[in-house]
Amino acid sequence: MIDVYIGLLVLWPVAAGLASLGQRSPATRAALVMATAAVLAAAAVGLATQAPLTASPAFLASATALHVAQAAAFLFPAFFLFQGLKEKHALVIVFALMQLALAAFGEFGLAAPAAVQTAVAVDGLALALVLVVSLVGSLICIFALPYMKHHEEHLHLQTSRQPQFFMILLAFLGFMNGLALSNDLHVFSAFYEATTLCSFLLIGHDQTAEAKQSGLRALWMNSMGGVFLHAGILLIQKQHGLADIQALVNPALWSGMSLLPLALLAVAGCVKAAQLPFQAWLLGAMVAPTPVSALLHSSTMVKVGVFLCLRLAPVFEGTTTGRILTLAGAMTFLGASALALGQSNAKKILAYSTAANLGLIIACAGLGTPLAIAAGTVLLVIHAATKGLLFLCVGDMEQAIGSRDLEDLRAVIAKTPVTALAAVAGSMAMILPPLGMLVGKWAVLEAAAASPVPVVVIAMVMMAVGSALGVVCWVRFSGTLMSGVAVGPQPAHTSPLSTGLTTGPILTLLAGAVGLGMAAPWLNALLLGQGNPLAGGWGLLPPLFIVAMLGWIIGLKVLGRQSQARLATPYLGGLPQAQPGSYVGPLGRNWTLSEGNEYATEFFGEPKLTRLAGIVALALLLALVGGALL
Amino acid sequence: MNLNTFSLALAGLVLAPLLGGVVAGVDRVVTARLQSRLGPPLLQPFYDVGKLWSKVIAPASHWQGLFVRWALAASLASDVLLAAGGDVLMCFFVQAASASFVALGAFCGSSPYSKLGAQRELFQLLAYEPVFMVAILCLAKAAGGFDALSIMAAQGPLLFKLPLLVPGLVFVVLVKLRKSPFDIAASHHMHQEVVRGVYTDYAGRDFALLEIAHWADVTVVLWICSFLWATGPVQMLVTGLVFLFAAVVIDNISARLTWRTMLGRVAPITLILATANLVWLYLE
Amino acid sequence: MFGSFLKTSQVKSPWLMHFDCGSCNGCDIETLACLTPVYDVERFGVINVGNPRHADVLVVTGTVNQRNAVILKNIYDQMPTPKLVIAIGACGCSGGVFREAPNVLGGIDKVIPVDVYVPGCPAKPEAIMDAVVVGLGKLKGILEASK
Repeated sequence: MIDVYIGLLVLWPVAAGLASLGQRSPATRAALVMATAAVLAAAAVGLATQAPLTASPAFLASATALHVAQAAAFLFPAFFLFQGLKEKHALVIVFALMQLALAAFGEFGLAAPAAVQTAVAVDGLALALVLVVSLVGSLICIFALPYMKHHEEHLHLQTSRQPQFFMILLAFLGFMNGLALSNDLHVFSAFYEATTLCSFLLIGHDQTAEAKQSGLRALWMNSMGGVFLHAGILLIQKQHGLADIQALVNPALWSGMSLLPLALLAVAGCVKAAQLPFQAWLLGAMVAPTPVSALLHSSTMVKVGVFLCLRLAPVFEGTTTGRILTLAGAMTFLGASALALGQSNAKKILAYSTAANLGLIIACAGLGTPLAIAAGTVLLVIHAATKGLLFLCVGDMEQAIGSRDLEDLRAVIAKTPVTALAAVAGSMAMILPPLGMLVGKWAVLEAAAASPVPVVVIAMVMMAVGSALGVVCWVRFSGTLMSGVAVGPQPAHTSPLSTGLTTGPILTLLAGAVGLGMAAPWLNALLLGQGNPLAGGWGLLPPLFIVAMLGWIIGLKVLGRQSQARLATPYLGGLPQAQPGSYVGPLGRNWTLSEGNEYATEFFGEPKLTRLAGIVALALLLALVGGALL
Repeated sequence: MNLNTFSLALAGLVLAPLLGGVVAGVDRVVTARLQSRLGPPLLQPFYDVGKLWSKVIAPASHWQGLFVRWALAASLASDVLLAAGGDVLMCFFVQAASASFVALGAFCGSSPYSKLGAQRELFQLLAYEPVFMVAILCLAKAAGGFDALSIMAAQGPLLFKLPLLVPGLVFVVLVKLRKSPFDIAASHHMHQEVVRGVYTDYAGRDFALLEIAHWADVTVVLWICSFLWATGPVQMLVTGLVFLFAAVVIDNISARLTWRTMLGRVAPITLILATANLVWLYLE
Repeated sequence: MFGSFLKTSQVKSPWLMHFDCGSCNGCDIETLACLTPVYDVERFGVINVGNPRHADVLVVTGTVNQRNAVILKNIYDQMPTPKLVIAIGACGCSGGVFREAPNVLGGIDKVIPVDVYVPGCPAKPEAIMDAVVVGLGKLKGILEASK
């Protein structure tokens, strides 16, 4: 039964993707996507009931599978090289060649590693990623159905390119599940490269010049990450003769040895997780259709990076490498939060915020204590649900008003109330106690405070500042969406997407984000088993839930009462208002009012801050590798 | 949860806002005396709230009532957390939530002054939150635990271990009490360019509830400040009053700064001092 | 007890909003003089506010003309109920020496209902404070009549 679940999780989406390639009929395609979502959800939940477990299904464990993984180590770089040559992109070519060289060295220059004990190991962390991919990822694929239809109408395409699009989208989910489940480093790296390929294809899907350029940027950055990954794997193979991930993450194995291979893997993780200074590929990914950016940001791609780091975290506990990784993660949390605050482009805000939150998870991984790992895992799950929700909301609002600029989204609650409120709830879920993201942040700070080293203090201060930046960013974001209607014209406008297929995923994710956030303590107990340090330390959360619930009930009651009330006229220095968006001023005329947010660009301006934070973060990553080298 | 914790929590729920109201009264009397005036009765803040409670006025937004109640719930929850000896860091986060709700409600309002105040409120949040959080980390490190009970049970006054925290905490008190030079978001006095800033659109009963939430906030902030000398209830009360008096005096002798100065100068300086203190604690 | 506290509060916390309708500034200075240490109206809980949504008493100085009548009416409408209006100075009461000017409508009571009139050119601070007290007495009467 377990083998069936795993097979469905990994192979079904790939098969469904291939099947959708041949389908021109939207109805069949929709049916395929829905079926995939149902199958993935069922299989993931089925797997969750059996976890923790180990298994060796044939399609991942057999000699053929391993040969395929070995071949993939050549095939993916070869394809990247081909793309690089075709587009004449020097960096893509260089890194593809390096990957090929490393693959050849691993194949012919090193002894084969010992066979893995089990091909699949499902622990709390793996299960968390599988659940995220299968549930959040599926919902995003469903959202993509109406979105892509509208998107292509907008582009006036002669022939629909949706078959390819959905093929990659669905296969992506399968690869992600494979990556989460596989216990063999070589199989893992094959899936890793597969996700790089998928993201390259998805980002470049629209085939505009900008999309192509962003796709290539994602490709070269992630193949650079691939180079680090392969180098790390080969070093591990050389030092220990191992490819078994479960056997590797054993601190005893590494005592007195250089952590260089793990540092390399962590850098690979940082690249995938779009940490500073590698955030550019994730920002570029915004040009892609919204479902793609939602998928890349919330449930797939970037989660690979943090998953890898969290996987290695037990080894990092108490090591210098781990502490530098914590600093690097905290630096990204701080830098990306500050960058998010200076943005008015809603999708850029989301992108920077993603990088920031992943930085926090990587900081958890660097700390490596059980409390920190628990916090990181909770953050991973809840971030996926929340960020997925926010991306879908912004995408929906963007299609409704034709702009993704926060200033244009002002008072959008009057036009698309459901989506706007969902976005507000999502942004509140990012910052409010007792919801999961805040609880995770709290747990990280307390885990860091327990560390005896002054270096971690700097990371803690960075987290404190980053946390304040995040609060300000999200309150301003939701405040702008909910802004009162005194200012600006209010044309009657309805979302072209108001179908069940759009609001369905949004509302499900909303319930998920808030529900998971509320359930963080229990979620933690479920994922990490009994005896994890968070399970006992949540004593004060249940009372807070009660307060939140009471506040919710009272607030809604008052809302119900006030929503019937006639509103007061706005105070405009005493001047009367004849219609929204203006005041009656001199000459008895209507004078237009306008308003805008203060983005404080002298503090949070993108060019300066990117350079500054990028240099610091790069120095930290160099220190990470260099420190392990010494 | 045992009965003792429960009664402490209940006391926090009821007494903390009342204490905050008295603090507001003391503040007004002391301010008046500093200006050689007689000043209002000590209970004036309670009369103000009582009056606002009975006022009838149309709301400026359908959402403000909701956010006011949420802000009040969060502020009271932070009081209760502290009174019951809970985690101070979580108490801080809950209080930050209250400030977020106030700003959100102001964003929902229709007056441009309200939204301008909301923006400034957020910049204030950005300026004082990091230093407050680092101060709490310092207190927890010096006392050996994050819960209020173990901080209050610390041996001897923590002030001597945490001298560099004082400027940061005074800054936090000034901002949270909405005192000059940092009454940037909701100017205390009339005839200023933001009118009443973040409070402009709140009126009547909503405003009264917000005032109670503010009292609760003030109690929490002064309480956390009083951890610097937590050798006994009287000492804590005196420490809190010293911080209050410092805030009142600074309020009376200073003019308002811009948010740029607050964010670009005051916040980094106080944060660096607090960080230095934290590093020092870890090096010891 | 709560009810009687609320009732007491109504007259113990008058927040003033001062609107200059076109006064020569004489009455304005006298009004602000009430806040100084010499008169210290804060003894009675008076606060000078700048926002009609928080004000209980509208203190108006100067004559009403075509331009500012709209604003005066708007500010009055934006105040919460129950509310008081005090017209200060000869101009505020009746238009004063400007009442025959072509753009002048006259006293405050041409636009909004006035509760207390304070004569004088300018009105004395003592008279203004007395007007607030008289106004609060009226308010008390209104509150008791409504119960």
